[in-house]
Amino acid sequence: MAKRSTRMIAKRSMAVALAIIFIGFGAGVVSLARIQLIHGEEYKEKARMQQLSDTTISPQRGTIYDCNGEVLSESATAWRVYIVPSKIETDAQMELTVSGLSAILEMDEETVRKKAEQSEYNYVSVKEGVENNTKEALAAYIDEHREDDALHTIIGFDPDTKRYYPYNNFASSVIGFTGADDEGRAGLELQYDEELTGTPGRIITAKNGAQDDMAEQYESAYDAKQGDGLVLTIDKVIQYYLEKSLKQAYVDTQAKSTYGIVMDVDTGAILAMATMPDYNLNEPRVVADASVQAKIDAIQDESERSKAEGEALYSQWRNRAISDTYEPGSVFKIFVAAAALEENVVTLDTTYTCTGSITPSFRNRPIYCSNHAGHGTENFTQGLMNSCNPFFVTVGLELGTEKFYQYYEAFGFTEKTGIDLPAEAAPVAGVTYYSKDKFTVSDLASSSFGQTFQVSSIQMITAACAIGNGGKLMQPYIVKARVDADGNTIAETKPTVKRQVISEKVSQEVLGMMEEVVKGGTGRNGYVAGYRVAGKTGTSEKLSGTDASARIASFVGMAPANDPKIAVLIVVDEPKGQTGGGAVAAPVAAEVIENTMNYLNIEPQYTEEELATLDLKTPTATNMSVSDAKAKIEAEGLTPKVIGDGDTVAYQMPEAGQTIAKNGVVVLYTDQNAERSKVKVPDLTNLSVAEASRRALNAGLNIRIAGITSGEGIVSYRQSIDKDTEAEAGTIITVYFKTNTNIDDLA
Amino acid sequence: MAKKSASKKKSSRSVLWTNLWTRGGVDLPFLILTFVLLTIGLIMLLSASYSYSYYYEDGDSLYYFKRQAVFAVIGVVAMFIISKMNCNYFRLLAWPMLIVVSGLLVLVLILPARFGDFHRWIDLGPLSFQPSELAKVAIVIFCAYKMEQEHEKLRVSTKAMWKYLILTLGYAGLVFAENHVSGAILVGALGVVMMFLGGVKMRWFAIGGALAIAAVTLVILKPDILPDHASVRIIAWLDKDYDPQDTRWQTNQSLYAIGSGGLMGAGLGQSRQKHLYVSEPQNDFIFAIVCEELGFIGAVTIILLFALLIWRGFVVAMRAPDRFSSLMVMGLISQIGIQVALNICVVTDTLPNTGIGLPFFSYGGTSLCVLLAEIGMILAVSRRSVLGKSQQ
Repeated sequence: MAKRSTRMIAKRSMAVALAIIFIGFGAGVVSLARIQLIHGEEYKEKARMQQLSDTTISPQRGTIYDCNGEVLSESATAWRVYIVPSKIETDAQMELTVSGLSAILEMDEETVRKKAEQSEYNYVSVKEGVENNTKEALAAYIDEHREDDALHTIIGFDPDTKRYYPYNNFASSVIGFTGADDEGRAGLELQYDEELTGTPGRIITAKNGAQDDMAEQYESAYDAKQGDGLVLTIDKVIQYYLEKSLKQAYVDTQAKSTYGIVMDVDTGAILAMATMPDYNLNEPRVVADASVQAKIDAIQDESERSKAEGEALYSQWRNRAISDTYEPGSVFKIFVAAAALEENVVTLDTTYTCTGSITPSFRNRPIYCSNHAGHGTENFTQGLMNSCNPFFVTVGLELGTEKFYQYYEAFGFTEKTGIDLPAEAAPVAGVTYYSKDKFTVSDLASSSFGQTFQVSSIQMITAACAIGNGGKLMQPYIVKARVDADGNTIAETKPTVKRQVISEKVSQEVLGMMEEVVKGGTGRNGYVAGYRVAGKTGTSEKLSGTDASARIASFVGMAPANDPKIAVLIVVDEPKGQTGGGAVAAPVAAEVIENTMNYLNIEPQYTEEELATLDLKTPTATNMSVSDAKAKIEAEGLTPKVIGDGDTVAYQMPEAGQTIAKNGVVVLYTDQNAERSKVKVPDLTNLSVAEASRRALNAGLNIRIAGITSGEGIVSYRQSIDKDTEAEAGTIITVYFKTNTNIDDLA
Repeated sequence: MAKKSASKKKSSRSVLWTNLWTRGGVDLPFLILTFVLLTIGLIMLLSASYSYSYYYEDGDSLYYFKRQAVFAVIGVVAMFIISKMNCNYFRLLAWPMLIVVSGLLVLVLILPARFGDFHRWIDLGPLSFQPSELAKVAIVIFCAYKMEQEHEKLRVSTKAMWKYLILTLGYAGLVFAENHVSGAILVGALGVVMMFLGGVKMRWFAIGGALAIAAVTLVILKPDILPDHASVRIIAWLDKDYDPQDTRWQTNQSLYAIGSGGLMGAGLGQSRQKHLYVSEPQNDFIFAIVCEELGFIGAVTIILLFALLIWRGFVVAMRAPDRFSSLMVMGLISQIGIQVALNICVVTDTLPNTGIGLPFFSYGGTSLCVLLAEIGMILAVSRRSVLGKSQQ
């Protein structure tokens, strides 16, 4: 053993050597534990940052349709152009990238260069919403420089979407628009942003150290889920009528703005809603009004200018039918009437003698009627027809603060209507309306004729519909259904009754009163022959404004009066010249009601009186012998005018079945190819019905009468074909009539 | 039997020839551990290299694996042949190897450098090898041979120590001159281990240890005294935020890989860092990829396998029939152990980045063959185990 031990290495030395090696191993294990177990996630995150390229695939945003499936807003595939700055190695590549992108994408060179110089990044978006032909041009440019400069590794495309509004300004305040990020910024685009957006898809690609894609197994794609489509209750045709009339009123009255709503009386569905001036949804950030833009451009100070521009844009985007509040004025009397009838404070036969003013015991100053001479003795219906303030103050005071307030709340004036649109004005107690505990009889007196508080248009028309539909306060809505990308219905909106406000009987009584208002009261300009219109005018001082003479004129109309289908509210904010609701708002409503009722195929039912002044249909004369045709035309009370010396009528103007006023002319041609006789259109405005007819006949033209046709002080205010233009002889020109007599309703 | 062969050391040529081959079983655990590590090593090489290989070898993902596999086969054949040899005859290699390797170490400095200023490789047509690989074996065999002879002398005389010290410093110096700091450290460490095992007095190690600590301190405080390529690595090790795009790139990427592995790992073949992030993932940093794919559990298992291999080598050395075999086995097993420890510590940023491969794993045909030849020598010794006699 001794000899052997000398031969062998000392065990202790071996053990020490081994131990030192194992200490080294141990140090490695400790380090591994630290790196993998304690700091593993941090390192993993850092590794991921460099390995993964995460690309978002925008889902196609849902389409917005009108109630008949007409597309109002849709997304089309576009491209997002991006660059990989880390791949730019040479100056030549940098120059080609910058010059090519700036030229093809029409961008500032400096902007592109700044993006390209971010060499630490692997993905920098250059432009979004790039259309396909631009993308193709860029792709061709990249191909050109593929071989020598490898531009295809630097510039790339990802699918993106772009929002299109096929009708530009159409329903702009309702539809709204999206921002560059495809996010809704206003209107329905904002309200239903989540539903419209869908779920974005992602493509996660692992990149290797050379920034090329790793093997395929590392790519995971999550499909984008397309956004839901919206089917609106808006009818494109009715919306068009409303916009057309509002726009005309905006021009004619030189108002700050005009806005209006058409509502389905029974369901609360919005058939049309518009605000003028409007703006182009495809260019929401362009100030639509050139004169406003000119004023902005004139501002020298840059921050002031951008502030002014911002204000102008916010103003043009504003859906005033939802967001603006106004003093309802005399329109509000219909609710006072309903409450008073419901509470049996008055009956339709209650009479009152108006002396032109009233001074309640708690007031020193009198409250005046619009007719300072006084309306004399009138029943309740006549009171509403005259929009008599003293009568309604008296009725309001009899009703009492408590009952009044109860109905004020019941009609929904203290709450949001809950319509599915953004930025609905929120009623604020003590600000837009009286808080219950501070509502005095003095407040009651002024409130009885709609002054000293404010409502929004949507509140007003919703409450008016409660009168029209038998007393049910509906929740207004604008989206009828949500559909998926394939058009299958996902969700449907059912009309919601909030509460019964008044009885069926009172509803009918108030409608009857309102019909009289249109027939013979301040609302006569709301009259539409053949359709029984119930309505009420309103004109109020803008208490919130600085201009004491500023007025807000409005008209609420419903038709047919016996069983209303549609309700129309027209508001004209600060009209110049004539300011009354009966003068500026009622004719607009009449146009909208007439067009809409025709469109909805609701057969007009004429009264005897109406029939007397009514238009008639042109008879068929074509293919008849000239003498027979002349006899037939004359029998209708029309004047025939023959051109050509043939025996039979080859062509007639106007054609058969057209609506024209009595005493018109029918031009008959015996030669189909004869040159059409042309005439100059005369000025047909500011005339009575008879004068307008005669002047048209003298010129060889026909007229069709629109608006009020009988009663005092009726004059024409517009013609469908401008004066001094040339028109074919026999052409039908629509002439709009209204009255300016006894339609004042202002306090 | 051990006594017999030892006494026949100066026998005639014919006797020597007849005794060249030996019988007896090899140490089975050691052989099995070798194969297990070799197999895992090859699989991991395939996994770690295929992306890099695909990218840089014209789409041939298997380029590195195929070459390594060929060398593995050659190495295993060599290992078996060597393991059949009578370990007494390894003594005959001592002087020739010393002379040849010395010559090669000088030659490699004269030959043109393969790249940069790094005179590490000698090109032999399609192959190339590093003389420093052989220097490690040479120093172990020579020390074992000479220390067996001078065993008594080493204990009493300081003079006897000097030749080992000069040899160690000389070899380390020559390798250092190749601009191969890690190789020099390994060669130097092996010389020191051999002197320690050979019985050099402890006080010299105390002095040497003190000098080493002083040198390390100096290097840490003033890295500039080292050649540039080595000094920046010290700086990059000390300052974890230093030059992340270049000097620390490899280390950072290695840490990302290891960290990404977590406890369970990404799964075999699932490393992402091997896709050109970890530079040359098949070489010195292959263990980082192992850690990413197999996780902490897999990495520690492999370290344990290495530890078992070394433990088993230690047992073979304990049971060796004579002082030469014992010293030789200890030297060779220490070489493997030191390499493994250094590699893992470098990969985990525990030590500055040096170029030391992981035995059985890292790509390199000649070094794998040399490694397997060394294993063969250890196995040859294990055949002549004196287990029964020494243990009882």
